[in-house]
This record gives sequence, structure tokens and C-alpha cells, in this order.
Amino acid sequence: MELNKRVLIGTVGYQLLGNHSVGPNLLPKLQAIKWPDDVVVDEMNWGPIAIIQYLESLEVPFDRVVFLVAIERAHRKIGEISLYKWMGGLPDDKQIQACVGDAATGVISVENLLVIGEHFKVWPKEVYLIDVEPGMEIAGEQFTKKVVAQVPKILELTRQIALNGIDESMKILELRGDTLFN
Amino acid sequence: MCFKNLPIDFDENGKAFLKEGLSNPYEHKVVDLGVEQDKLKGLMERNGFIRSVDYDPVTRVAGALAFHSVVDLKEKKVLSTNSMATLFRGYEVILKGRDPRDAAYISSRACGVCGGVHATCSALAIEMAIGIKPPPLGIVMRNILLALEYLYDHPLHLFLLAGPDYSEEIVRETNPELIDLAANTPAKNKAVHGYENVLDIMKDLNPLKGKLYLEALSMTRVAREAYVFIGGKYPHPQSVVPGGLSVNVTMSTLNEVYSRLIKFFDYSQKVTGIWDDVFDFFLDSNPEYAKCGIRPANMIDTGVWDRPDAYDATFKNCNEWGNARWSTPGVLINGEVVTTNLREVNGGLEEFVEHSYYEKWDGHQFKTDPLGMPLSPNHPWNKETIPKPGKQSWRDRYSWDTCPTWDRMPMEAGAYSRIYLTAKAKKAPESKFLENTGHSMKIHVPKHQLPERTLEWKIPDHWNTFERNRARAYCIPYSAMVAMDNWLLAQKLIMNGETKMSTPFEIPKKGTHIGFGAWGAGRGFLTHHLIIKGGVIDNYQIVTPSTLNAAPRTPWGAPGPYEEAVLNTPILEKYDKPEDYKGIDILRTIRSFDPCMPCTTHIMAKESDHIITREVTTCACGIE
Repeated sequence: MELNKRVLIGTVGYQLLGNHSVGPNLLPKLQAIKWPDDVVVDEMNWGPIAIIQYLESLEVPFDRVVFLVAIERAHRKIGEISLYKWMGGLPDDKQIQACVGDAATGVISVENLLVIGEHFKVWPKEVYLIDVEPGMEIAGEQFTKKVVAQVPKILELTRQIALNGIDESMKILELRGDTLFN
Repeated sequence: MCFKNLPIDFDENGKAFLKEGLSNPYEHKVVDLGVEQDKLKGLMERNGFIRSVDYDPVTRVAGALAFHSVVDLKEKKVLSTNSMATLFRGYEVILKGRDPRDAAYISSRACGVCGGVHATCSALAIEMAIGIKPPPLGIVMRNILLALEYLYDHPLHLFLLAGPDYSEEIVRETNPELIDLAANTPAKNKAVHGYENVLDIMKDLNPLKGKLYLEALSMTRVAREAYVFIGGKYPHPQSVVPGGLSVNVTMSTLNEVYSRLIKFFDYSQKVTGIWDDVFDFFLDSNPEYAKCGIRPANMIDTGVWDRPDAYDATFKNCNEWGNARWSTPGVLINGEVVTTNLREVNGGLEEFVEHSYYEKWDGHQFKTDPLGMPLSPNHPWNKETIPKPGKQSWRDRYSWDTCPTWDRMPMEAGAYSRIYLTAKAKKAPESKFLENTGHSMKIHVPKHQLPERTLEWKIPDHWNTFERNRARAYCIPYSAMVAMDNWLLAQKLIMNGETKMSTPFEIPKKGTHIGFGAWGAGRGFLTHHLIIKGGVIDNYQIVTPSTLNAAPRTPWGAPGPYEEAVLNTPILEKYDKPEDYKGIDILRTIRSFDPCMPCTTHIMAKESDHIITREVTTCACGIE
């Protein structure tokens, strides 16, 4: 592990939505891993505004943030894992206010969290999203077989990114706030 | 005698009975909405300036609300309105067959803003159903928890959701003629908020960068911090249980809460001063603004904040403990109090589904309440939730919201109903900080950085968009002072060694037990009606403030509160071409109710595991 890096691993997503609940469902497994003291593993569903206020209040900020999420995207197979790097950028003010409106009224969304965090300048240089393709929303507590099969890989990738960051062997996609809602 | 439309009368001893000689006492007329739609269709075909204006979704509200209106852009009038809840709330279905002890945790998830009030409402329903009286400190701390939830909720709505509608950016876009006027209008409450003129206030209401907007964000944190000392977490507290709270409270907890609560003393003065200045400016600048969102002050509220010496959770004594609450339960018709009795508030409730995506249920299990007051087959204790998704049609069914009525009248709910009823009824017991005069509520705010001051919210002559928000602003000091009253009580109880927080209970495994929780969300009235049979939940019905406010037409054609308020709203926005029309007056009106749709609607797992949200048409294009 890189020395002296404070890392936050945050899971984001609704519960009881099958594959869409990869974040909250894998949280206990992530918490069970023996992490160095500088790594914090927490659920990040408690409202972007509150989360931003928490990050602002830290005396020693995080150097790296890793979010584990499951967002349905076109052209991906169920269980496919994508690694995104947050590149910053912001949508227009109306869209940011829409994100704040959703955030303040209880909507759970990593995209809102990223945009609001960017607006309030809380993100460190390294913010990553490990994003698992969930397929369509299905209510329930269980993953489908394809996602179950990926769980060890998801946990290992989260561990690697959290401890060592990215390396050249990884395929990294870029995520930007100014194109997120196009 | 509070009912004019339901077939219920009272004898000389005040005992309610069903009027005699009626073959079908609860029969009601069902009007054909198609007649109005045909007329509108003809008008739109003949006149290019009469248009459908649809808001889907209505932004800056929690959850899925869409609004359809037909507007005459030449005469600047709204001709027709339909309020649509576009998602199904399945919590009644989810809760059926479960252990009642799960209800607080599950129903809390009905909303991402006011989960705590749903949890408490569940707890109250169970307390009534099986007879559990919480200890005094449990009741008092529950009150503080609720007040803190309001102190989170009201600033959030006033500055983050409704506030931008009055900001310099929006006003410049929609009514530029007001900008110079605002710059030349001195702010009357400069002494408390520091702004020279109204335009300066409007600039700081600008979203994302205005100081008032950002300050409200930080105040929500203050309230949340205080909340989690008692609730454990927010918005879904872990400590709310039937019989009290599952947490120990010490003087140290109280001190932590107090150190945050006092920040709302000065903030209360500031917020009420800000909104008085802004709303007075609008109303003075153009008297037509008084007509925006106007409707009769027909409101309903359950009352909140129980007195520990009065609350015993029984249905038998609910009128007494209801009237002892810091906010008085009751019903207002045309601004006059027609009842403050919880039994009558409950007895007059019905829910109709003629214009909603539900099937009508059969049966009339509870013909009376436990003390003999007749109950309609449409009463929540008799209602069943049977979803029936279908085509959206203004002629027939167009919402996932039901149509609740009291005495067959659509009722409005809000934080403002709480302050209005309490001020008007003058029934709330004595308080160190609150004084109800019958025409106002005086709120004595203690000193913090600012000197102490008495704020006075006055019952307005007209009930409109601006007065809803103004009253909500005064609910900040109102809630803070109720919290202070309870904080002092809690301190006394702890000093006397009365530190018990909850009463143990067991769910009876046999028999039928019924109860209802009567509590209040940030945006008003909330009831949970519960039937326990054989130790499990047999039926569970939730009526939220937005269920009332966003209601579609009644079966007999009366518009729901949003629909009526928008229908009465004049179009005061300035625009050169119809294409430039933004609809700010309509949006201000809808947002003045503080819509919160998650607990009005929710997702549905249809038969197996597919979610209906994908199958519901929310776009108004092409709807009949």
C-alpha cells in the first residue's frame, strides 16, 4: 500500500433492488476485510449534502475515494465491471440545483453525490467508481448468478484500488460532470 | 355536530350515530369528467392561445409529481388542472402479514426525508392497538426528536426547494419589472437579518451560491446532528419503538442537543424576518399575487407533540390527549375550527379511488370505531390497497394517489395547518414560550446572539401561495420553542430520576386489535391505520400530507388541493411569446404545499419482481 494515503471506500445504492444493490449488499464483506488504519469503509447513502458536510469537517481529508456502485448502462453484460475515474467538471447550474433538490429530498444517487461534491470542491484528485452492470431493476435481496460469480473479483478490485490506486494494466474510463447528464 | 356531508349525527350526549332512513348511507355521486375534457378539447382546437402546459416531473419536489394544466395565455388564466402521482407506493402491501414490530422500520422507508415521523406513527398505532403507554421521558424525547426533524425540514424547503422561486435569478427571468422595485424597497427587518433592501435578500436566495441558500444547508446539518443524539441516525432512526425510544438519555445528551438547538433561536428571527420581507414585497407590488394559490382554508391536522401527563395511547381518551398536544389536532373549514377531537378527525376520513389506479375493495369490516362512531366503508380501517395500473386519462384515472376527504371535502395539510389550528383553537396547554390568541401565535424566542424577541404569526385574510410559506417560516421558531419546552421537561425528569425511556410489550398472538397513529410530517397530517390479527399485520393504511394535497378529483368532481390552488392562480409572469412562458406562478403554488411524493407514491413489485415504474406513462402527451 502507498504510505500515508487516507482512503474512503463508500458503497452507494438502494437496498433490496437485486443486482442494483451491489454496494449496500457487499458492504459487510468489505468491512470484514482487514484494512490498514487509514482506510475507512462506510455506507454513503445518507444524503450527498450530509456526506459533503462530513467530508468538509474532516481535519485530515481523504486522499482517495473509491465508490462501489451498480448503474445500469447500455451495451454492458450483467456482472461486467467497469472502472471509472472522476475527472471533475460540472453540468450547468440548473442541473446542479436539480441534483441538490434530489439529494435534499432523499434520492440515493452516486451521480448526484459526485456533482454536488464537485460543486462544493470536496473531492481529492483520486476518485474512482467501481461500477458493476446490474441489468434491469429487479426487487429482492439476492444477486443473480452472473453477479454472484463476480463478487470475488469486485472485492479484489476494490481492495487493489483502495490500497494501490490504478495501474497501467487497468482499463480506466473517464467520468465527467459536464457530460454526465447529456 | 361537525359533519355536514357524512350521514353521521350526534345525540344530546354527544354520541355519534348513523342517520336513519337512508338505504345506502355512504352512497356518493360519480361525475363524468369527460364532459369537461370535451369542452377543453373544443376550446384548444379553436384557440391557439389555449394550451396544455405540463410539468413532468415538477422539479424541486421530493419524488414523482407531474402536473397537467390547460392555460389561456391570452386571458392569463388556468382553465383546468390535474395532479398526478406517477409512482405507486406499496408500503401498505409490503407491511401486510408482517410482525407489527417491523412496522416502524419498514414504514420509515416510505420517505427519504421524514422517515422518523413514519416510524413514530407506526409506533403510535401499535401503542393504541395493544395498549402501551410510554414512560414520560420516552414521550418527551420523542417530541424533541420530532421538533428537530422539523428544524431540518423547514429550512430545507424554504431555501433549497421553494426559495429559488423568489430568487433574483428567477424573478429577473420571469418578472423583470420587479427587480428595480425590489432594489428600491427597504427591508423592514434589517435589524435581524442585516439586508438593506429586498433585492439584496433575493440575491442571497439564488441557488447554489446565495448566502441564505448555503446557510440553510449548514442549518440542516445542525438539526441533523442534534437528531442523531436521540435517533441514532437520520432519516431512518434506529431508536423509535412502540412504547418509547430504545436509547438512554442523560444530561450530557440533553446538553449536546441544547448546544445545537440554541442556534435556531437567532435563525428563527432571521428566517421569519427574511420571508416577511420577501412575501410582503410581492403582495404589495401587485395585489393580484394574493390570488396565487388561493383556496379556502380547509385544512386537517392530527396535532403532534404529546404531553407526558396526558398521553395514554388509548383510543378512548384520544380527544383528551389530542387536545393536550403542543399542536392541536382538528379540522378547519373556511378558516373556522369545526373540531379539535381526534375521534372526529379520524371518523370523518375516507379514501376514494375512482380517479386513481386502484380497484375498489369489497366489504365494510369496521362499521363503527371502538366507541361507536359510524365509519364509512371508505375509511382507512376498511380500505384495502389493490393496485390496478392502467391507461392515464383525464376522463377517468390519472394518479397513483388516492383521494382522501374529510366529511367528503378535499383537505389541505401542511406545517402551516399545525400553526393555524393551534393559534385559532386556543386549546394547547400553557407554554413558557408559546401563546395562542385565536388570531395569532406569539412565539417568545429567548436571547442568543440576538436579543430575545416575540415573533407573531397572524392568521392571514387570504390563504394563498405566499401565506403557506410564511406560516412554514414561523413553524421554525414554533418547533424550536416546543423543543425547548420539552427540553426543560426532560431535564426535570432526569433530575427526578425518571430516566425510563420505554415500556416493554408483547404482541398478542390472538384476537383483533386496531389502532391508528396520528403524527405529523414536516409537511403536515400523517396517519397510519393498523389492524393486527393473530399477531401479524392484517391491514395497514398510510395517509400522508401529500396524499391529501396531491389528490385527484373526488368522485363527485371537486378538485384536489393542488388542483384547486393552481386553478385559482392568475398568470402574472411576463412573457412576449407563449413559447417564453415558464409557468412560475403555477410552480410557486405547487411548491408552496411542500410536495413530498415518496410517501405518497412508491415503487411496486408487480406480481413477481418487476418494477412498475418503467411501465407507467408519465408524459402527458397523447393522454385523453
